[in-house]
Amino acid sequence: MALFEAYVCQSSFDEVHDSTGAPRAHWKKIIESIESVGLDVLKEKQAQIDWHLEDNGVTYNIYDDYDKPTHRSWSLDAIPFVVESKEWNEVKKGLKQRAKLFNLILKDLYGEQKLIKENIVPAEVIFGHKGFLTEVFDFGFKENFSLYFYATDLARGPDGKIWVIADKTQAPSGLGYAIENRLTMNVVTNDLYPEVETKKLSPFLYAFKDLLKDLTGDDLSKAALLTPGAYNETYFEHAYLSAYLEINLVQGQDLLSKSGALWLKSMSGLKQINTLLRRVDDRFSDPLELKGDSRLGVTGMVESMRQNNLHMINPIGSAILENIGLNPFMTKIAQYFLNEELILPQIATWWCGQTKELDFVLKNMETLVVKKIDRSTEIQVYFGKSMSVEERETLALLLQKDPHKYVAQEDVDFSSVPYYHKGKIEPRNAVIRSFALRKNDDYIVMNGGLVRMASSKDSLVVSSSSGGISKDLWILGKDKTMPAFPAQPNLTPYVETSIDKISTLKAENLFWLGRYLSRSISTARLLSHVIKKITNFYRYEVVTSKESQMILQQALTHMTMTYPGFLDPENKKNLDIFPMRELTSVIKDVHRSGSLSLTLMMLSNANMNLKDLLTLESWKLFDRLQKEWSAFANRKNDTTLVVASELDNLLIYLMAFKKLVEDSIFKEQGLILYHIGYKIEDALLLISKTKSMLSQKLDKLVGHDVLEGMLNSMESFNAYRAHYKSSLTLEYVVEFLIFNVQFPKSLHHTIRSLLSEFKHLPKASEVCTPYEDAMIKAKLLLHETDLKSVLSIQEDEGVYTQLDDLLTSLFDLFLACSNEFSKTYFAHYGE
Amino acid sequence: MVNKMIYDIFHKTEFVYQSPVTFSHNLARLKPKTTSCQKLLDFSMEISPEVFETHEFTDMFGNNTTHMLIREPHQALVVTGRSKVQLFPEYREKHLEHIKLKSITYARAAQRLSNFHIDDVFAKQYLFESALIPYAPQAIKTYALESFSSNRDLFEAAQEFMERIFSDFDFVSGFSDITTPIEEIFEAKKGVCQDFAQFAISALRSIGLPAQYRSGYIETLPPEGKEKLFGTDASHAWFSLYIPNAGWIDFDPTNNLIPKEQHILLGSGRDYHDISPLKGVVMSSGESKLSVMVDVRKEETNKQKLSDEIQRQMQSQQ
Repeated sequence: MALFEAYVCQSSFDEVHDSTGAPRAHWKKIIESIESVGLDVLKEKQAQIDWHLEDNGVTYNIYDDYDKPTHRSWSLDAIPFVVESKEWNEVKKGLKQRAKLFNLILKDLYGEQKLIKENIVPAEVIFGHKGFLTEVFDFGFKENFSLYFYATDLARGPDGKIWVIADKTQAPSGLGYAIENRLTMNVVTNDLYPEVETKKLSPFLYAFKDLLKDLTGDDLSKAALLTPGAYNETYFEHAYLSAYLEINLVQGQDLLSKSGALWLKSMSGLKQINTLLRRVDDRFSDPLELKGDSRLGVTGMVESMRQNNLHMINPIGSAILENIGLNPFMTKIAQYFLNEELILPQIATWWCGQTKELDFVLKNMETLVVKKIDRSTEIQVYFGKSMSVEERETLALLLQKDPHKYVAQEDVDFSSVPYYHKGKIEPRNAVIRSFALRKNDDYIVMNGGLVRMASSKDSLVVSSSSGGISKDLWILGKDKTMPAFPAQPNLTPYVETSIDKISTLKAENLFWLGRYLSRSISTARLLSHVIKKITNFYRYEVVTSKESQMILQQALTHMTMTYPGFLDPENKKNLDIFPMRELTSVIKDVHRSGSLSLTLMMLSNANMNLKDLLTLESWKLFDRLQKEWSAFANRKNDTTLVVASELDNLLIYLMAFKKLVEDSIFKEQGLILYHIGYKIEDALLLISKTKSMLSQKLDKLVGHDVLEGMLNSMESFNAYRAHYKSSLTLEYVVEFLIFNVQFPKSLHHTIRSLLSEFKHLPKASEVCTPYEDAMIKAKLLLHETDLKSVLSIQEDEGVYTQLDDLLTSLFDLFLACSNEFSKTYFAHYGE
Repeated sequence: MVNKMIYDIFHKTEFVYQSPVTFSHNLARLKPKTTSCQKLLDFSMEISPEVFETHEFTDMFGNNTTHMLIREPHQALVVTGRSKVQLFPEYREKHLEHIKLKSITYARAAQRLSNFHIDDVFAKQYLFESALIPYAPQAIKTYALESFSSNRDLFEAAQEFMERIFSDFDFVSGFSDITTPIEEIFEAKKGVCQDFAQFAISALRSIGLPAQYRSGYIETLPPEGKEKLFGTDASHAWFSLYIPNAGWIDFDPTNNLIPKEQHILLGSGRDYHDISPLKGVVMSSGESKLSVMVDVRKEETNKQKLSDEIQRQMQSQQ
């Protein structure tokens, strides 16, 4: 028993050993296996598990800072939580009963309200809870308004029985993690526990898919998983489940409602969604009828339910069931609806809204745990035993003031399980999350679950918001039939691979990914060039260099639109002496529109919304880019050289990221939209740079310097040389950047390639789309323009007026192209 | 034949957006309820720009609600409700008699509400704090309890409470909006009808009594000898108290009276959120500006003159 030496159990009940210290029968094989391989092998297997999870990108985001969520990796213990099938079958009966009861409660509270009218449940328990939504008050009469999916937190009490701890109904999480845990355990099971036979998860997953097929009339394209987005703490699982269930993964902005139904916006138009697997909380689901400032939901979602065009797993309104105030009345409810006793024990709970109960709670506070029934805004738990006398008195006042808002529960010590931690096996308290699903007016329960453990040895509180230490739940035994395990999903979730079908949100983000990436690169390049110019200036002290340097700086202001910037006449002196101050602000100030930091943030947002399209590599790369950039942006007093090298460093990351994006997304997945965005942005920036740098007449030496600067800031000097084999002249540079058909960055080339890209878009068949029209006009404009006359200038003139006009017209046409493009594909007017 | 009490109500709500809106979902609650004391004779609603679709339903509080979707580019949304409502003051009189007869003491009411009684069950949803009406702090509770002593008849206590608000608070517009906390109103002792209603409701709920927010209209009369101008009225708000054993009874603290002949009920709820006349969610950047115009008048005024006046007003606005 050497391995379990450190495993001294302090809990009321130990999962592994009985009161005499002998291993329980159903744990024997597990313990023998671990002992036979030894701690070293266990350690190695644990490392294998960790690597596997990391490699699959399994994360759990911690929600403390909305701007910078921390990705925690998910951890899974190599030792499972084992339950005998005989015991589990009893638990399953209890869970089915509880699921049935909650379904009946849900339908009653939003229907006849007999529970309230007949005093089975006090009205205050319902009306005083924010989970009761008056907006869906009569939806309980609807056939499709049911509790489809139900999760329960279970733990073993001191009496050795499995108890119900909490009920999760509005958007239960954990199923995806449970599946991933099982798949990961499979990697080590054969080596570690060859003798142990476990029931499979697959029947439950098949049933889930069947339910979706049932609700969608066998057309899974009508189903979607609604996620709050990549910032959500359990986004990994949303992506994962949507892949497993083969349904669309959508955010609120992907959908719109009209004609009393929900529609998915896609490149080819609107497609109806009639079943929503909802992972957005009730109150956030519809800003029109529910929480008005929510950006996570869909306006009109409640109306779609009202008009019977939307099934929801689970329906809006289900949060009322996550009300601990119901607990004390569950026995009565079970008798009322089913004429049955509750099968699963619950923690003894007293609702303080009754005089007798309140008295009891006030008298026994030090042995109780006091909680608010409504946990939708804040979760507050008071452990009587660890409070001071004064604290208890304060709490007593709260209870007397609003008694209906509180319950008190018995303080229960739950069982412990072995956990492999830093070379030792330690006891930890654990909670099982089980899952039930509605099937033919009854419920089925998954033979497995997600086990979460307390984060420290001494902690009794198991909470997933402090990170995930988990275990796989093993129900011992064989399945009656052995359905094949569902094929492993692609680790990228299910997205339709056809440009026609990609969602508008995704399309729009791809388009903006292109635009922001181009803007980031061009801005970083110009900045880097401007800064290098400054350092050169101090080295050579050439007079002309000073003027060209100013022209470059002003071009930066124009291109980034960080006005007044270097154009500020009132600040001229300061800017002359300390250009780095302004440059640092353009680089780092995230609150300044046009700054590089802000552009990177916008890029990061677009990137975040495309999480499921990009490869893990590009994720890791972008993560590093952001970390290094934010370290730099938060630093002060860097030397000019350090700033320049940080910009170069950023450029290397951006170029690598660009390459990864272009390599990992298929054309059919929307890469073309990214290309279009990239090209339009490139053209717009080139135009404003050219306009600012080349349209004024300059002294010959300065002019030469500026031309060189222009080409260098685009990394195009070598290309120019290859084309012209001559020294720099304004005429050639203008020809090169605007009219040249061979040079891929020239405006002419960009216009041509945009026009050919447009042919592959869903709405290409229409005669001439407005965005296409803008580019055709631009093309004609270039055809009609004569290079020589564009550069003609009078002696007394300081500006190449025709060049300036041409560039202005081109800028407007590209801008029109972008706006019309957005309107055509992203707005869904009048569909 | 007794003179029938019929009111014509014109209620226009306008949203003006900073930038054009192409897609907007809205909920309108402009159609007055029919109750035992009033009957909706006629109603029409006009929406500009043209709506893509509308759907009518009744919410949990019995308020008539219209969901509408607009899919035309627009920079202003105008929703106008025109209703004709008949009041039955004699029923209100009878109801008041019934309440007076059945009313019980504050102590008995509190006792009854702490237990189950089938008649009180649904009144209990008006016991709790809501987003716009949180529970009152101790000072306001103390203020209320001056009227609500244990053995006092609840109706009498509430009537006195209403009178005290009327005399202690000044009607001053422009000082507050729907989100002004009641503490501020209490401190300044001034506000408008909705402040007084919210103040009373908060105080009543804090001392354990169910209270509803009522929204509607009241006819205002021009100074003697003057013609009433069109559109010079406003929406009105008051509160209703639930007296166990008796029922709901309305009080208007702004005018110190129990509504009988001048109050037309639009709808009711826990607070203003449940009965806001027009609420919308638009996809647009920038703020929106809201303006409201209300006209209430008795039908027996010269019909032709009125409609001429409406015509003239409408034209001058265009």
